Amino acid sequence: MSISSLLNIGSRAMNASYAALQTTGNNVANANTAGYSRQTVELATAFSQQTGAGFFGKGVDVATVTRAHSDFLTREAATTASLAAADAARSSQLQRLETVFPTGEAGLGYAAQQMFNAFVDVSNKPQDASARQVVLARVGDLAARFRGASDQIDSIQAGIAQDLRTAVTSINALTTRIADLNRRIASVKGTGHEPNDLLDQRDTAIADLSKIAQVTTVGAADGTVGVFLGGGQKLVLGGEATPLTALADPFDPAKVQIGITEGGTTRAFPDGFIAGGSVAGLLRVQNHDLGDARGLIGQLASAIAGSLNAQQALGLDLGQPPGAGAPLLSVGAASVAPSSGNAQAGGVPVASYVNGLGVRVSSVSIAVVSTSELQPSDYELVADPSLPAGSYRLTRLSDGTAQTVTNGSVVDGFRIDIAAPAPAARDRFLLQPVSPATRSIARVLDDPKGIAAAAPVTASVAAANTGTAAVASLVAVSSSINPNLTATITFTDNSGNFTYSLVDTTGALPTVNGAGSFVAGQPIALNGFELRLNGIPLAGDSLTVARTAFPAGDNGNANALLALRDATFVGERTIAPGVVAPGVNVTDAYASALAAIGVRVQSASYAADQSAAIASDAKNAVAEKSGVNLDEEAARLIQYQQSYQAAAKLLQVAQSVFDTLLQIGR
Amino acid sequence: MRISTANAFDNGVDILSRRQAEMTSLQDQLTTGKRISKASDDPTAAARAERARASIGRSETSQRAVAASKVLMTQTESNLGNADTLLQRARELLVSAGNGSYGDSERASIADEIRSLREQLFAIANQSDGAGTYLFGGQGATQKPFVDTPTGVQYVAATGQTVTENGTALPLTTDGELAWLQARTGNGVFVTSAAPTVLNATIDSGSVTDPSALTGADYTLQFNVAGGVTTYAVLKNGLPTAVVAAPYVSGQSITVDGMTVAVSGTPAAGDQFQLAPSTPTLGVFAVLDQAVAALKTPGRTSAQIAQGNADSLRDIDAVLGHLQSARSAAGQVLNRIDSETDRLDSQKLASDSERSNAEDVDMVHAISDFQNKQSGYDAALKSYAMVQRLSLFQYVNGG
Repeated sequence: MSISSLLNIGSRAMNASYAALQTTGNNVANANTAGYSRQTVELATAFSQQTGAGFFGKGVDVATVTRAHSDFLTREAATTASLAAADAARSSQLQRLETVFPTGEAGLGYAAQQMFNAFVDVSNKPQDASARQVVLARVGDLAARFRGASDQIDSIQAGIAQDLRTAVTSINALTTRIADLNRRIASVKGTGHEPNDLLDQRDTAIADLSKIAQVTTVGAADGTVGVFLGGGQKLVLGGEATPLTALADPFDPAKVQIGITEGGTTRAFPDGFIAGGSVAGLLRVQNHDLGDARGLIGQLASAIAGSLNAQQALGLDLGQPPGAGAPLLSVGAASVAPSSGNAQAGGVPVASYVNGLGVRVSSVSIAVVSTSELQPSDYELVADPSLPAGSYRLTRLSDGTAQTVTNGSVVDGFRIDIAAPAPAARDRFLLQPVSPATRSIARVLDDPKGIAAAAPVTASVAAANTGTAAVASLVAVSSSINPNLTATITFTDNSGNFTYSLVDTTGALPTVNGAGSFVAGQPIALNGFELRLNGIPLAGDSLTVARTAFPAGDNGNANALLALRDATFVGERTIAPGVVAPGVNVTDAYASALAAIGVRVQSASYAADQSAAIASDAKNAVAEKSGVNLDEEAARLIQYQQSYQAAAKLLQVAQSVFDTLLQIGR
Repeated sequence: MRISTANAFDNGVDILSRRQAEMTSLQDQLTTGKRISKASDDPTAAARAERARASIGRSETSQRAVAASKVLMTQTESNLGNADTLLQRARELLVSAGNGSYGDSERASIADEIRSLREQLFAIANQSDGAGTYLFGGQGATQKPFVDTPTGVQYVAATGQTVTENGTALPLTTDGELAWLQARTGNGVFVTSAAPTVLNATIDSGSVTDPSALTGADYTLQFNVAGGVTTYAVLKNGLPTAVVAAPYVSGQSITVDGMTVAVSGTPAAGDQFQLAPSTPTLGVFAVLDQAVAALKTPGRTSAQIAQGNADSLRDIDAVLGHLQSARSAAGQVLNRIDSETDRLDSQKLASDSERSNAEDVDMVHAISDFQNKQSGYDAALKSYAMVQRLSLFQYVNGG
C-alpha cells in the first residue's frame, strides 16, 4: 500500500463530490427550464485492491449522469395534453361561433319577430307610408343580421383555415427537429452514456407535437423514436421526417384539410383520422360545427324569406293599378359543389355541360320547391356504382341518414335535377339547399307602396240575412286566386248546404256554379281563398266574396303577414305523401338553434375543463418524477459540500502522513 | 411525494387565475343583472327567455293594435252620440210639425231646419279620424264613403269592417252602410202605407199579433163605399182573399195573417192601403229627405199631414234605434278594448317575469356566492404567499 493511494482516494472523492455539486448546480440552474429532467450523478465504488490483508477500497468513481425519467408518464402526459388541446381548441372556436347566435335583442329571432310585428302598424293604418317604411327598415335589418351572422361564420372559417395552415407548418418543423434529434442521439449511442439533454429535447418536441396533433411513438434499438399519426401514418422514422400538407377541401376551397404527400401522390386524411391535438379540434369545428350553424341560420332565412314572399305575393300593393306584392327578401340560391376529385375528360369534369349562356355548369343541380320543408343540413350525392344506373345515394350530413334518389326526386323541400351527361361512377357532389342562403340575403323591395297590405278579395254578408253568420276570416291561400271572380254563396237550408256561383266581372270566363256544405270551424275554399264563418247561416242567407274595391284601405294581407309570426313554417317534414308533420315558428326555431349551439358550447367547455384537469394531473405526475425541487437541491448542495470538505480533509491527512514519513527519514 | 418547485409555482398561479376568472364571471353577472349572457350559460333557460321575449313582443304588438282600435272606436262612439242628438232634435221638430195650428209656411221652416240637421248628419257619416281613415269606411274607402246622388245617398266604400290583427280582431272601422242606410223599414216586420190618393183616412204603423201566421206576402186593403156603408176587401199579392166586404169601423183594428193595423178616418171608395214586408233598406238621409219633402208639400189634407208625420216619426224612430244599436256596438267594443288591455298587460307582465326567472340573476344568491368566492380567493392568495416564502435556501444562506 502506498501513500499515493490515500491521496488518490482523496482526490477521487473530491472529484466525485465536485461532479455531484456540478450536477446539483445544473439542476438548480434548470429548475425552470421546460422539459428539463432532474439529473443525478451515479457514483460507484472503485474496484478494490486485493492484498494479503484482504480487499482495500480504492475510493469512488463517477459512473454516469442519469436523468429522472419515466417513459410511461411522459407518454401519458403527451397523450392527455393532446386530448386537452383538441377540446380546448374546439371549445374556444365554439365560443366564437356562439356569438353568431346571441340571445335577446341582439338575436336573429328577435329581429325576425320585430319584423313580423312591424306589420301591425300597417294593419292599423294601411294607407300610412311611415308604417310601411318601418316594415321595410325591419326587413332590411333582419337581412343585415343574417348577413352579419354569415360573415361571422366565414370569418371563423377563415381563422380556422389560417390556424390549420400554421399548425401544419409547426408540425413539419417539429417532425424535422425530432428526426434531427434522432440522428444525433443515434450517433452518441455508442458512448454508453445517455445523452440526457438530447433526450429531454426530443421528449419536449414530441410533447409539443402532441399538443398540435396526437401521435404515437415507438422506440427503436438505436435510440431513435418513430413517430406515427392516427395509428399508422409515419411522420418520423429514424432520421427521416415526412412532411404534412394543408390541402383545399375538394368541395369548398375555403376549407382546409390535412394530407400527406407520399410517393408523388397527395391525399387528404379522412375525417376523424387525427384523434387529438388542436388540429383535431379545429377540423371538427370546421367539418361539422360550422356547417351545422350555417345550416341552422340558412334554414331559418330560407323559411322566413319563402313564407314572407309567398304571403306578400297573395296580397295587393298600392301600385297603379294594384298588383300582387313583389318579393321582400331574396336569399342566396341553393347550390351544388362537385368534388374537385370527380372524373374528368379533356380537362373538364365529365358531369358538366355548357348551358345556354355559354357557362359550364354541373350536371347535378338542385332547386328549392318548398321552403318550409328545408332541413338545416348539407347533403352529399354519390354516384355509387353498386346502385342501378340513374340512381344515386344521397346522405343528409347532419344526421347521416342515406337514401336512394333519381333525377327529379324531391327530398326535404328541394328537387334534385340530374341532366346529361350523367355523373361518372364514384363522382361526389355536395348539395347545399340552405347553406348559401344567408351569404347574400338582402331586402329587394325599396318602395313602401310595394308592401301588399290588402287582401285581393273581401267578403261581405248580405244585409237581409236572417242567420247569425259573420265573416271570421278570409285569407287568400293560393296564388291562383283570380280577384275578378265574384263568388256569391247562398245557403239553401239551415244545415249549412249552399250553392255558389263564380262570376267573372270582366266577362272573360264563363260563370261557374256549384254546391257545397259548410261545417262549423271548417273553411269554405273557393277560387284560391279560404273563408271562415262565425255563427250559423240560415236558408236564404248569402255572402259575397269580390275583388277588394279599395286596396289602399284594406289590411287583410297585412294581418296575414303579421300572423306569420306564429305560423309553423320552419322545418316541416313530409312523413308520407300528403302527410306533413308541422314545423315550428320563427321564435321556436331560433330558440332551439340557440339552445342547440349553447348545449354544444357548454359540453365542449365541460370537456375542455375535464381533459385539462386530466392533462394537468398527468403533467404533475411527470413533474413529480422529473422536476427539480429546490429544497431538495439545497439539501444536496449541503450534502456534497460536506463530502467535498471531507475529501479535502482526507488530502490534508494524507499530506501530513506523508510529512511525518519524511521527517522520519531526515 | 416529490414536489417540483417550478410546477408548484405554475399550479399555484393556475389556481389563482382560475379563482380570479370565477370571480370576474360572477361580477359580470352582478353588474349586468343577467345570469345568462350567452346561450351556453344555460341553454334551456336561454331558449325559455327567448320565447318569453317573443311573447312580450307579441303583447306589445297587440297593444298597438288595441290602441289603434281604441282611438277610432272612441271617435266613432262620440260621433254616433252626436248623430243621436241631431236625430232626436229632428224628431222633436217632426213632433212639433204635427201641431194643428201650423200652416204650410211654419212646416216649411221646420223642413229647413231638418234639412240643416240632415247636412250635419251627412258630415258625421263622412267623418275621418284626421289621418286618412273614415270612421264609417267599412272595408276600405279612399274617398268619402257616402255620396249624394240624384237617387239618394249612396255608400261607395266596401261594406263590412276592417279589423286589427288576428289576435285581437277589434274593429278599426264601422260598416257605414249597415249603420246609416240599413235600418228596417216600417215597424220592423211590415210596412204600412197609404196610397197618395187617400185624402181623409190614415193607417197606423201596425203591429204583429201572431208571428206564426206571418206569410211575408204583400197585402192591400181596398175600401168600398156602397149605400153609405164602408167595407173593405183584403188582397194578397194582388189576388182576392176570403175577406171581400168586411164592415169598416174607424180606428178598429184589422187583423190580416198575424198583422194588426188600424185605419182611421173616412176612407173614400177606391182608397187603398198597403202592407208590405219590411226590408233593411231604410237610410237616415232618405228618411229626413222624405220628411223634408212631405213638410214642404203645400195644400195637403189634415189626414195626409197626419199620415206623413206619422210615417216620418215611425221611420225616424227606426233609424234612430238602428244608429243607437251601432253606437252601443261601438261602446261594447270599447268595453272589450278595456278588458283586452287588461289581459295584454297581465300577459306581458307574466311573460316578463318568465323572462326574468329564466335569465336574471338571483341577487341574494349571487352576492352571497360572490362573497364566498372572494374569501376563497383571499385565502388562496395568503396561503400562496406563505408557502412560497418557505425555502431551504433561506436557512442555508449564512451557512
